[in-house]
Amino acid sequence: MTSLLDIQNLKLNFKTVQGQVEVLHGIDININAGEKVALVGESGSGKSVTARIILGLLQELRQARISGEVYFDGRDINTMKPKDCAKLRGTAMSMIFQDPTSSLNPVITIGQQFTEVLRRRNNKLAQAICDEQATRMLNDVAIPDAQRVLNAYPFQLSGGMNQRVMIAMALANRPKLLLADEPGTALDVSVQAQTLTLMRELVNDYQTAVLLISHNLGVVREFADRVYVIYQGRIVEDGPTSALFANPKHAYTQALMNAVPRIVGTGLAKVPEVSDAFLAPRITHSDVT
Amino acid sequence: MSLLSLKHVSKTFFTSSGNVAAVSDVSLDVKEGECLAIVGESGSGKTTLANMILGILQSSKGHIHFNNQPLSSKRTAEQRRAIQLVQQNPMSALNPKRSVGASVRLGLDTYQIGQKSERWQLVEDALEAVGLDPNLRKRAPAALSGGQRQRVGIARALACTPRLLVLDEPTSALDVLVQARVLRLLNTLREQHNLTYIFITHDLAVVRNVADRVAVFQSGQLLELATTSDIFSKPQSTYTRQLIGAVPVVDAAELALRNKLAKIAS
Amino acid sequence: MIRAMRILASNPLSLVGLLLVLLITFAAIFAPWLAPFPTHNGAVIDFAFANKGPSARNWMGTDLVGRDIFSRILYAYQISLMLGIVVLAIATPVGTAIGLIAGYVGGWTGSILMRIVDVFLSIPPLVLAIAMMGVLEPTLTNAMLAVTVMWWPWYARLVYSIARSEREEGYVLAAEVIGAGTMHIAFREILPNCLPAIITKMTLDMGFVIIIASSLSFLGLGVQPPTADLGSMVAEGARYLPDSWWLTVFPGLAILVAVFGFNLLGDGLRDILGVDE
Repeated sequence: MTSLLDIQNLKLNFKTVQGQVEVLHGIDININAGEKVALVGESGSGKSVTARIILGLLQELRQARISGEVYFDGRDINTMKPKDCAKLRGTAMSMIFQDPTSSLNPVITIGQQFTEVLRRRNNKLAQAICDEQATRMLNDVAIPDAQRVLNAYPFQLSGGMNQRVMIAMALANRPKLLLADEPGTALDVSVQAQTLTLMRELVNDYQTAVLLISHNLGVVREFADRVYVIYQGRIVEDGPTSALFANPKHAYTQALMNAVPRIVGTGLAKVPEVSDAFLAPRITHSDVT
Repeated sequence: MSLLSLKHVSKTFFTSSGNVAAVSDVSLDVKEGECLAIVGESGSGKTTLANMILGILQSSKGHIHFNNQPLSSKRTAEQRRAIQLVQQNPMSALNPKRSVGASVRLGLDTYQIGQKSERWQLVEDALEAVGLDPNLRKRAPAALSGGQRQRVGIARALACTPRLLVLDEPTSALDVLVQARVLRLLNTLREQHNLTYIFITHDLAVVRNVADRVAVFQSGQLLELATTSDIFSKPQSTYTRQLIGAVPVVDAAELALRNKLAKIAS
Repeated sequence: MIRAMRILASNPLSLVGLLLVLLITFAAIFAPWLAPFPTHNGAVIDFAFANKGPSARNWMGTDLVGRDIFSRILYAYQISLMLGIVVLAIATPVGTAIGLIAGYVGGWTGSILMRIVDVFLSIPPLVLAIAMMGVLEPTLTNAMLAVTVMWWPWYARLVYSIARSEREEGYVLAAEVIGAGTMHIAFREILPNCLPAIITKMTLDMGFVIIIASSLSFLGLGVQPPTADLGSMVAEGARYLPDSWWLTVFPGLAILVAVFGFNLLGDGLRDILGVDE
């Protein structure tokens, strides 16, 4: 099977006042068409910059030095012209952010924002068709009174509603890849759980591949087919979700897994201080389970 | 013995779109030495409740007693000193323009704790008590990691030698590994200093492992109050079951518990 | 400090600003030694050299009564800088204190204070100054007073808006819970977070104060002859344009250099102080 996203030996250097800082030390990530993959790590591990590189946003930054290959649909994003890369965003790949309410434009109605999104793919699309597609998308994310929502501004809707709108917009152009950066972390737990279920069902229907970026192991386990664990700019462990969660092999993954408080009340784990074992080489679980 | 007691406490906010009852008719006791978790989602009134306990807001109705004394709108210095707060966001909780030590020292100066000449020593002791290098006191908060800053926040509250700590989502902005360490620290400190905790959170997995009792809030009302094991083994309200069911879980034992609760619900 | 130097060095324009400001300050302080004709600051008449263009003897030419323009500009910088420093030294603390208290305490106190500020802000600044000078004697002291009265409300506004947003920060809540006093929270906790903006504004304002003071002198309301002042020099020379261009161009350039220097430096400071270490 050819992969939709193929990242090879990706390195990222930042030029700061103090000098060069290497943020990513050569990471490899592979996502097949329609596959749900999670990149899990702590803050500062490099998971969010990875998403920005895939979107081609960091390449334009003067202080960033990027090497390695990021093949998306057979083309290397790292060597692509910024203009071509911008064309991909919102069409072939799209993104969902942490806080839905602040990522929607507050002064434009949901309906107009939908039209803008849909016209990114086809700028001659008639208003009536845009509205019809938007309505259908909103129905897909379980918003029954689509007309009211289309006429509303983001601040008139609840956080959970805005999150669904975000998902609908992100999927409106049937992208091949959806990047979800800590989706719903800003929302209440119950709302977060609902939207996650919804998102999983939709991407399954649409055959959209997803890269879920998260620090929450529970969310990752419930959403992804395959998991990459990232620590300090290195992938330390990867494999099918069930195998990795049943038998974490890398010291860092084990520590992470141990540290998650359990609702069965097994007490608070004693977490080791940063240890050299965390920097041990990458462990890959075989795809055959 | 109850350290803090709320009797029929309500808080109503007057807004342009009408009156909003943020907390309505809440009565509960916090026992000396326990960790009481207050669980709820946004709009549940848990933050308003905390602010009334801390004296930042005055209740519209009802009474709050601390150590068998009523807490009036003008609290004594001793009452203020006895109830302290640890905040959620370690980034904003420390003044970026003041050194870590100056932040921790604030309570010592306010309550005239120790001789002036001893206070820097007390600051260093407080930093050591939360597992930080005392030399960090001269640093700016920006030079510290999130976990370190949260420890400074705890040290600042501890320096006042309080009896009751209100912990407002103290670990929800932290990474998992750091969260585990801070939670263990909080447990140790509770034993060492004979503290009572009010632990406000939306994370039920954390609650399960730190709290003695749990109070579930929804729309400003106390829905359910029981021991932690009771809340998780036989939750009375649908809402509590929903909350537990929404926790993303990582292992088989947790899944089994969740399925069991789902069965009770149906 | 080292970081500040690095940022300054990586931003050539603000470095230029710093150099210009240092140059002007140096010129003003050492004017009596640097000026080729130190006595020309006062009432000196030398008709032999009256109204002459730039030459080796008088680099920037001479004015209508034969005084060296270059010497007079150096002395005029003394007046301009002193005026700027005095105005800001009074306006900044007054405005800052009012803005801080209004912003942090809020409520009725805040509303009343800010409405007073609004009244001052609603009067066009130059008009206010001119009106004041009309009532008072047109002296240097009164010019400073007039400019100060129109200046402090801007600091009150700036600090008010910062204090309003800082009030919502966790560290203010922490200090309140601990039980620190209102004055401690306003001046020890919130004020340090307003300082970068205040310092930046002061630097930028030095240039504006110089312009306003020059405008007053231009209108004959500020510094009185024979004392050298950039604004009155431009005003006197304006009637003789374009023939005796040096009468206006060099004092005009002097104003430009000063304003430009302070503005560039102010922009640089904004970059340096804006980022938290």
